[in-house]
Amino acid sequence: MENMDNISAVGTALQRLEALERDNEALRAANEDLEEALRAAEAANQAKSRFLSSMSHDIRTPMNAIMGMTSIGLSHIDEKARVQDCLSKIQTASAHLMSLVNDVLDMSRIDSGRLTLSEEPFSLADLVHDIAVIVLPQARQKNQELQIEIGRIEEEVLLGDELRLRQILVNIIGNAVKYTQEGGAIQVSLTAQRTAGEGPVELAFSCRDNGIGMSPAFLEKIFIPFERVRSAAVSKIEGTGLGMSIVKSLVDRMGGQITVESREGEGSCFRVELALPAAPRSRGRLALPEGAVVLVAESGEERARRIGECLAEGGLTPVRTRTGMASVTWLTEAQYEERLPCALLLGQELEDMPVLEVAAHVRQLAGREFPIVLVSEDDWAQIEYRATRAGVSAFVPCPLFSSRLLDTLSELMGGGRGNQSAGGELNADYSGSRVLLVEDNELNQEIAVELLGLTGVQVEVAGDGAQAVDMFAAAPADYYDLIFMDVQMPVMNGYEATRRIRQMDREDAGRVWIVAMTANAFVEDVRLSREAGMNEHVSKPVDLERLQEILRAQLKPGGRE
Amino acid sequence: MQLYQQEYIANLRRIAVLTARKKPEGLPFADYEARMDRDGEQAEALVRRNMELLRGELFPVLDNLFQADRETLEELEAFAAELLNAREEQDAGLFCQIYRALLSLARQKDDQGGMIRSLYWLGIGRNSLCSCLVGLELELSEPYMTAMRLCFTEAAAYLKYYDEIEDDQTRGYILRSRANMALGAFKSPGEKVALVRRTLQILQDQEYQAKAPGLPWERFIYMTHQHMAASISYSKEKVLTPKDMTDIMESVYIVYQRRIQEAEANWEQPPVRWAFPYYAIEYYCGISRLDRLLTKMEDLMDAADPAAFTEDSMYGLISLPAFYCQYLQQYPERIPERREYVESLYRRALDYVESFPGDLENESLFRYLRQLSHTFVETEGGMPYGAFMQKLLIRFAPEIYVHSLAVGEAARALCGLIVEEEPDYFDDIEAVRVLADPEEKRQAILDYAAGCGVFHDVGKINFMNLYARTARQWFDEEYEMARLHAPAGNSLLAARPSTSRYAPAALGHHVWYDGSRGYPAAYRRLECPERQMVDIISLVDWLENVTHTARLYTGIERTYRQAVRDAVDQEGRRFSPLLTVRLQDGPAAARIEQAFEEGRRRARRQIYEAAPVEKR
Repeated sequence: MENMDNISAVGTALQRLEALERDNEALRAANEDLEEALRAAEAANQAKSRFLSSMSHDIRTPMNAIMGMTSIGLSHIDEKARVQDCLSKIQTASAHLMSLVNDVLDMSRIDSGRLTLSEEPFSLADLVHDIAVIVLPQARQKNQELQIEIGRIEEEVLLGDELRLRQILVNIIGNAVKYTQEGGAIQVSLTAQRTAGEGPVELAFSCRDNGIGMSPAFLEKIFIPFERVRSAAVSKIEGTGLGMSIVKSLVDRMGGQITVESREGEGSCFRVELALPAAPRSRGRLALPEGAVVLVAESGEERARRIGECLAEGGLTPVRTRTGMASVTWLTEAQYEERLPCALLLGQELEDMPVLEVAAHVRQLAGREFPIVLVSEDDWAQIEYRATRAGVSAFVPCPLFSSRLLDTLSELMGGGRGNQSAGGELNADYSGSRVLLVEDNELNQEIAVELLGLTGVQVEVAGDGAQAVDMFAAAPADYYDLIFMDVQMPVMNGYEATRRIRQMDREDAGRVWIVAMTANAFVEDVRLSREAGMNEHVSKPVDLERLQEILRAQLKPGGRE
Repeated sequence: MQLYQQEYIANLRRIAVLTARKKPEGLPFADYEARMDRDGEQAEALVRRNMELLRGELFPVLDNLFQADRETLEELEAFAAELLNAREEQDAGLFCQIYRALLSLARQKDDQGGMIRSLYWLGIGRNSLCSCLVGLELELSEPYMTAMRLCFTEAAAYLKYYDEIEDDQTRGYILRSRANMALGAFKSPGEKVALVRRTLQILQDQEYQAKAPGLPWERFIYMTHQHMAASISYSKEKVLTPKDMTDIMESVYIVYQRRIQEAEANWEQPPVRWAFPYYAIEYYCGISRLDRLLTKMEDLMDAADPAAFTEDSMYGLISLPAFYCQYLQQYPERIPERREYVESLYRRALDYVESFPGDLENESLFRYLRQLSHTFVETEGGMPYGAFMQKLLIRFAPEIYVHSLAVGEAARALCGLIVEEEPDYFDDIEAVRVLADPEEKRQAILDYAAGCGVFHDVGKINFMNLYARTARQWFDEEYEMARLHAPAGNSLLAARPSTSRYAPAALGHHVWYDGSRGYPAAYRRLECPERQMVDIISLVDWLENVTHTARLYTGIERTYRQAVRDAVDQEGRRFSPLLTVRLQDGPAAARIEQAFEEGRRRARRQIYEAAPVEKR
């Protein structure tokens, strides 16, 4: 019995011992967890300390510029151009400071779960063009070759948060530009393919560069907030170290995946995969004649190939030329044989001459209705004035999306499919707009009325300046949208008529757009017409293109409301 | 031609004589000055009359061109032919204006023959305008060359329908257009050679010849060989293929042999112009070395007769030296041993142009002078580039010179006023900042201002037909082209050590102070250390222009007082407020006005001294 008790006591003791050991084990585990947590906290703390130190530096840099430039500006307050220069530098530094603050705010929103994603329809073509406009100039500044290749796009209008998607892509490409040396190469590609049936569209994006790359150690931490590559090569590159962690968080929130491969000194490749629903289709049928020929003038092989592919997708037949001279020869022959192509697509560059000079000549050669489409990487806002003056009918931005190109061609050919448009199309309908044509010569009147009539605009004719003044005075306010005014006329000339209209005591007298139409083409004549109150000057015999250009600039297609 | 057309042409000739600034033997300066004023007034009256003729007679015709009868159109073409032809260039701008209108008409009427003819002549007119662009960077001249080339290209495209075209004249236009596609500068000389080669193949094709036996085929072919031979002047030795070389060599030999035969038949020396390609091609093909080519060129230049005012003498004394100096620029190690020769070459060229009769009507002379001024080589102890250019301006563009010297004097005066109050005002300019002695510094600033004034418009040497021979106001297109004088002046001055410091003034004097307007975009004020001086030239240039020089071609005219008021109104935008504030000070403004007058008078004195004497 005593033995039994002893055994039982030993057993209990053993159980206690085991329990103690278990407790110890748990304690050890808890200790280890605590130590790990402590290490993590310390690491996070260190990272935050590094961030704070880095942020202090990053904030101080633009702040120094702002303060410095302000004091320089103040000390040269009389020198407007100097002050302007200081203000523009202050603006740049402020914008940078703002982006730092925005990054921090974004991160904090993501951390606290306050970030919501919208789900709106957006066009991939617009998105890619916007991105290109932002990143291409940065890459050009560093003489980098940045290629954006558009692969298979099965659906172009998707549902998602365009703003955040743009943030992801700009961040990744922007980083590639930042961390790639001068003259380096960056290759971006994008596809949007359906995985199955009517399921979501798999958006696959990749960005490969031959820049400085990352070490394996850094690669593990790339998505951790506040981490940045630290090396002499990047010490001057601005950034918070938040960009990639924001990108990762956004991709996660969108239910996607981001992966990265990199080798130090060789470059990096980021891949993003997202499944996004396609927006409901609203596009009609394209009005493109099957097999019709389009002349493609482009010297770059890759760009010409891409344009050719897009045209083929629309059932069109591309014919390619590499030079302006070959294009003009081809078009002259085609015109003579009455087989003009359905459009001329002018690419980014030609071997022998600037594309806009070719456009200007072709506009004269092929007439006002012939569609000339500029397909270019340039920012339309920068070249619009020169391009439209040269006679370009429409602009399609690169990277090239076939839908964008085909829609534009379709619209120019009188078809179109509703809601899509690119650039300023030539043959708009101005029915409802009213134009006063002041011209004493009957034949000139007839020609101008004929030409203007084609656009749907309502034309009223005055035979001399005095008649024009009377008609304007008798008309209700804003009755005329535009006045084409001959200069040399009997009874009252165009200058005098314009002066009298401008002097009238009515609100629209100063506003109505008056265009001088005259063979008096001296610089002084242009000045005199301006001094008389005319807004523009058109040389005679009337350049048909120029007439269209003015209508396009001054009238709203579709007419008055 | 109609009467107004005849009168216009006569006025052009008269204006050329009035602006020639000849000096009757023994005429004192005061009388010469009075004569200059009188001539100037007469020329202005003729310019005004020309404007009346164009506005009252020509423009209404162009206005109503769609209903013009056949006779009117023929007269218009006859008038155009007087404005520009193979012998002389009277008014290429107006020529283009007429053919642009005729082309629009032909397109409107779908008149194929008219279209081809108008395209050809419009191309010829544009080519004539392009000759002003010699020496400019291709980027600047390309739009003009392209517009010219595409006219010829479109006309030449009708070659495919050669059989369907019935009249030989139109076929001739097509063939000449085909040849002219190779006119002007190209990105690569090989492109040019390939175009000429193809033209030769077409012209030598018996089938084409048989269908239009009335055309001067031999002349066409020979002219095209000339074109091919001349292309050696534009070529660089490393970019031509062996095939290009062979083709050029063949053409060179054909042209040279024929010229030798012609010379022998007339008991004359073989022409210099076609001997140069003959020697050059030997060098390009590796048969001879550069030194031998240079020696041969020296022989040719020495053989040119300075007393003969023929095309060949002009070529030998002005154009060939330009090519010679171009080789020296490419191989500067050859310059020291040829220093004296280079010197004598420029002296001879200047002596030659100074004795040239009827100079202001000779477009070839201007073209060659443009070449020479763009390839000028400065040698140690030799003639400085500035002195050379000054002589050219005095001789061929006296009005520009008067303007430039007046601007220089006024800039000096304004700088003097500024430096008195703010000695460090120009310290952004390194050459000024390093000078410690105040008087030395002041003098350096004044000299610099005067130099900037004298040379700021030197690029106008490219556009003498627009500036120095103005016979009417400019057309819009000419105004655009004239703007190229700023980058042209910059590249002329920047390329030579003795004038490079004046280049910013040439480049930037038409750019607005706040950068919002003006030209060219290449001048960025805030990046330019000499901007304070450029601001000054910009202001005084504008004041002089609107009060004196520009009224002829832009119709703008102000009194000095109005101009000062306008300048002050534009302070901070067009002009530096630090400068316009000086204009508001009455005595300072008066001092500047006086400086303008002094500058003009000094320039006139120099023109008088250099003017060619008209024998009684």
